[in-house]
Amino acid sequence: MTVFALIIINKAGGLIYNKTFYEAGLNKISTNDYLVLAGTFHGVHAITSRLNPVKNPANRASASAGGMLTRPDPPSGLEVLESENFRLQCFTTLTGVKFLLFTDTTQANVDQTIRRVYDMYSDYVMKNPFYQLEMPIRCDMYDRKLLSYIREINNR
Amino acid sequence: MVIYSFYIFDRHTECIYSKLWLPPSAAAAAAPATPATANIVTGDGAGSVTLAPRGGPHNTDRRSVKVKASDDAKLIFGTVFSLRNMVRKLGGDDDAFISYRTGQYKLHYYETASSLRFVMLTDTTTLSMRSVLHQIYINLWVEYVVKNPLAPVEHKGGDGVKNELFELGLDQFVRGLM
Repeated sequence: MTVFALIIINKAGGLIYNKTFYEAGLNKISTNDYLVLAGTFHGVHAITSRLNPVKNPANRASASAGGMLTRPDPPSGLEVLESENFRLQCFTTLTGVKFLLFTDTTQANVDQTIRRVYDMYSDYVMKNPFYQLEMPIRCDMYDRKLLSYIREINNR
Repeated sequence: MVIYSFYIFDRHTECIYSKLWLPPSAAAAAAPATPATANIVTGDGAGSVTLAPRGGPHNTDRRSVKVKASDDAKLIFGTVFSLRNMVRKLGGDDDAFISYRTGQYKLHYYETASSLRFVMLTDTTTLSMRSVLHQIYINLWVEYVVKNPLAPVEHKGGDGVKNELFELGLDQFVRGLM
């Protein structure tokens, strides 16, 4: 049960936060490679939401049980990626910020973990008056809280 | 378990085989009087694309369906290629990309040593299909395509892949799973 790393990508595909919690988990790559990875993932995420094989028929009865007009959920992009050595969970906020959490393949309840990371982002980054939107996150408080939270999970 | 589609890409990044198993509701909406299986082999150009369900009142839609299918194959290859490179960069050269899941579907990936890539799209609840793709490679691809003396070495535009035994075997195998 190990959380390897966290990456936060802003809505334009730029890398704004990058933290490794467990050194032996993933290969070390340069900061430049991380920026490329964030951009690539942003593009791939957009494509995966377009590849939906289940077509919603245009004339599908839009009135549900209560006679309410409902709109089908917009297709979500990539949510979980599995490989032999790690698992990547992606959480997209309503504002388009992506949280990428790399864990080992057996990690459970990553949904809750990533929610908690997002909660902390809204508490310690968005409420920081000196933080500029869309810019790299440099908030000591966030770093500290995140680190102690993830350490707790990794030592469990 | 529902299987939506299956693709094979060769080492030249070309889609040499693709097959769709449309879910009953989508098939009914697309073409009421045709069988549920649309069978498409995409080539490099638009001209070499064939589509099995013929006739019916939806002839005008066929063109757009064909274009859509070959576009989808290209998008899928691009996605799979990028993710595979990403996984290998982060997980080391021995790591392999297995699958990804979105809210609507799940994509399974299997790559052979000869960089032949097998891709399958299923619904989100399906467990790992890696062994299934491996089975398709061993029992169908090797048996009916590689061991076919008339099949070319390179399957340009899907040459030699779309033979009767392979098609039939694949369809039976996949329908057996569903």
